[in-house]
Amino acid sequence: MASELTLFVNGAKQVVSAAPETPLIFVLRNELKLSGPRMGCGMAQCGSCSVLLNGEEIRTCITPVSYAVGKQVTTIEGLPAAWAVEKKLSAADAAKTLHPVQQAWIDEQVPQCGYCQSGMMIAAVELLAKNPNPTIAQIKDAFTNKPPSPHLCRCGTYAAIIDAVQRAAKAMKA
Amino acid sequence: MTVKTETSSDSPLATTLTRRGFVKIGGALFVSFALPAGFRAQTAESRASLQTNQLNPTLLASWLEIRSDNTILIRTGRTETGTGMSGYYTQVIAEELSVRPETISLIMGDTDKTPDGGYSAGFLSGMTNVRKVAAYTYQALLRLAATQLGVPVENLSVVDGVISGVGKSISYGQLVEGQHLDLKIPVTGELAKAAPGKWVGVDGLDGLTVTGEPPLKPLNQCKVMGTSFPVPGIPDKVTGKTQWSCDVTLPGMLHARMIRPVTLGSTLISVAAVDKKQLPTAEIVKKGNLVAVVSPNEWEAISAARAVAAGTKWTDWAGLPGSDNLTKTLRAYQWNAPSESHGKAADVTAAVAKAAKKISASYEQPYVRHAPIGPFVAVADVHSDGSATVWTHSAQSQGLRARIAYLLGTTPEHVVIRWLDHSGQYGRTTFGGDGAESDAVILSQLTGKPVRVQWTLQEDMAWSSVSPGWVSDIQAGLDANGRVIALHSSFYSPHMMDPRPIGALLAGMPCSTSKPGGWVATEWPYDKIQNRLEHAYGMANLGADTTSSGLRGNIMRTPGQRQQNFALEGLINEAAAAAGADPIQFRLDHTTDQRLVDILNATAKAAGWEPRRSPHSKARRTGPSPVTGRGVCIMVRQNAYWVGIAEVAVVPATGAVQVTKFTIGADCGKIINPRQLDRCMKSGVVMGLSEALREEVTFDKEKVTSTNWSRYKILTMEEMPEIKVVQISRDDKGFGGGSEAANAVCPPAVAAAFFDATGVQARRIPLAPAYVTTLLKG
Repeated sequence: MASELTLFVNGAKQVVSAAPETPLIFVLRNELKLSGPRMGCGMAQCGSCSVLLNGEEIRTCITPVSYAVGKQVTTIEGLPAAWAVEKKLSAADAAKTLHPVQQAWIDEQVPQCGYCQSGMMIAAVELLAKNPNPTIAQIKDAFTNKPPSPHLCRCGTYAAIIDAVQRAAKAMKA
Repeated sequence: MTVKTETSSDSPLATTLTRRGFVKIGGALFVSFALPAGFRAQTAESRASLQTNQLNPTLLASWLEIRSDNTILIRTGRTETGTGMSGYYTQVIAEELSVRPETISLIMGDTDKTPDGGYSAGFLSGMTNVRKVAAYTYQALLRLAATQLGVPVENLSVVDGVISGVGKSISYGQLVEGQHLDLKIPVTGELAKAAPGKWVGVDGLDGLTVTGEPPLKPLNQCKVMGTSFPVPGIPDKVTGKTQWSCDVTLPGMLHARMIRPVTLGSTLISVAAVDKKQLPTAEIVKKGNLVAVVSPNEWEAISAARAVAAGTKWTDWAGLPGSDNLTKTLRAYQWNAPSESHGKAADVTAAVAKAAKKISASYEQPYVRHAPIGPFVAVADVHSDGSATVWTHSAQSQGLRARIAYLLGTTPEHVVIRWLDHSGQYGRTTFGGDGAESDAVILSQLTGKPVRVQWTLQEDMAWSSVSPGWVSDIQAGLDANGRVIALHSSFYSPHMMDPRPIGALLAGMPCSTSKPGGWVATEWPYDKIQNRLEHAYGMANLGADTTSSGLRGNIMRTPGQRQQNFALEGLINEAAAAAGADPIQFRLDHTTDQRLVDILNATAKAAGWEPRRSPHSKARRTGPSPVTGRGVCIMVRQNAYWVGIAEVAVVPATGAVQVTKFTIGADCGKIINPRQLDRCMKSGVVMGLSEALREEVTFDKEKVTSTNWSRYKILTMEEMPEIKVVQISRDDKGFGGGSEAANAVCPPAVAAAFFDATGVQARRIPLAPAYVTTLLKG
């Protein structure tokens, strides 16, 4: 049965009506109209549905919405604002500034079909928060061995992702 | 850019200016240039235009519009498949029009908004269409400007959409402002329509072709082609603004989850009831063996579908051979005459008979899967008058339209297909079939409401069409000098082209059937081997005689070459080893094609290749420590030349094969976008290595068993080796197919490197530990 649940999504308070066990992805997509997290495997095996929950990557396809109550959810739609807050950008600057990870994804032309790339960028933001200067081996390790599963890209954009993570790392230190 | 153009006084192109007013194209209102405000608006629009939803392809405005603000809109029935097509189209058009590519926007794939149809993977033909349209337009604009400015055409030049000459100038936008450029575009061909029993069951998949020979910009004077222009859709994909096919929401729309039979051949006995106390909005919808649960709430549809599936009863069936018996099954099959043959049997038989040395080998490949990250999804709205609108990511909008119309028993004019981005399909939707579209159409027809069908990964991996397994036999004769003098190849596989939509099959609704059959895909790279004979054989799907048609074959990316080149290049590597020759030198000795010679040499140099024979002098098939090797292969396809060089490390004791480095070279004529080609070559290598090392669809006697990412393994980022890319661009060889084929040059090179390391031939992929261990034990 549906309950009123309070979430904090991309910096804004949201009250949604949903059964508490509903996976977070359906609330984000259908109730809050955020299309960044996308349905892939539905069993935490691919990473296309990833968002940040209090800064930690989670798979929204298996995370009940009740688990996110009271926590900060960040999707790719909220990354520019999160960066603006972190860097204390003026409103004018914030309006024209993407998160460095997103800018790097554009500059390196990472997406092919792009379906998995929201999750890839979320994983990159989390990695760079913990390790501002990752080596290629560390990037590969983070995108492959961090539980619950590797981040999978069927188009095979892994080389471009590595380039973009390193570009973003430089930009974030500047 | 300044371009001198040739004009002919007796040009067949009548160019006139008319007041635009409310311009009509083929009876349809001119499409809106602004992006749709929302899907509600799209629905209303598509309903309004249902009777007149086909553009007249002979009118320029159906293809291209120049707006008064100097921006340009292009319409093409082809779509972005993830390889950068939208960027390449933009570059080609910008080049011919002498405008900046940033001023161009594209409408792709909507059947009521684009004129030509055609394969999205067929960039070379699709690009030629829009290139010619742009070139015709360019000539027309020059003639208009000559009249308007009073300056002869030969004195005019164009830079960034501004026509100048003799001190006067005018922009394209000023030239056409408030006017309608009435230019006739010559076309031939037809749009897709159902053709039961023929090839893939649909005719006209090539779509329309723009004819004539308008003057084109010389490739050695390009300003936009050859640059790394960014692909237009990427910023929106990165920021979350893209509307994907999975994002479509319509008023009153129901979410559906399908309940599939428990085996590929089961039929429905009874459906369990929905617990309405727990799930008040969920409803069961069924037709034949097509069963679904719908609800306005997606999670409720999922919860109900799980509960209903658990209690639904199906008949037993066990008619598949099991994937472990695939080769045995194909070997035991009584093949009919080859469906395609090349070469003279008598000459090859005679040449092999007198050969100093004979080699024969058989190669095997399992069923593999397109396996997108995003499972199939579609939304359909079947209207009360029997017409329908479908939102999809199919790579063949017109082909899909034909199939849906056939299913509904109507004509294609009554179906509108709207295309949106989604997960890459890698050839799965190339023929306009397979996918969630037919499920959605049938459910919408039954419920009278718009329905969104989202497949699960397990469903996608078990029920979508699948790229069939192969067996290939090759015999070769070598002369006393170790040169190949004759070669006979035979390729066998189940149905490769049966993308019929599963929803229609299970519901027992009309499906346009296709014809099984193999074809010879390899383009022959070795002109010094004069005696060759090639046969391709086809058979029905495995499990074909069921309501689901069993394992519906649907060949994936780099079709045919991927499988046949594995065998052909495998044999060439074996022949080089038999001749005691360096495998690259051996290839150079068998061709006079300078493009192949050049890309072989350039790639070998980049890889640091040192000539020697295979296997390596330290090759070893036992022991716990790694042994290394390197191998090469080539491929010629669609006016493109490819070379792959793999370096591997094999641990004989565990069967672990790691590709440590891969060097890939391509000459695909004029390179349109070097960075995007680099991206496609590297990502193609990832897919190709995934196939060489990991991928195999498994099935038991009842059903597919490799139904998630832990059972259908694909390459991870950590498993990706260092990848080096070599590109050769040529201005004098036209365009070649560059974005797709890299995956096909991996397996033969990896198998050759494995032989180099171990001295053992690997004639089957994937080189997974269990197979490798068995192989090395001998």
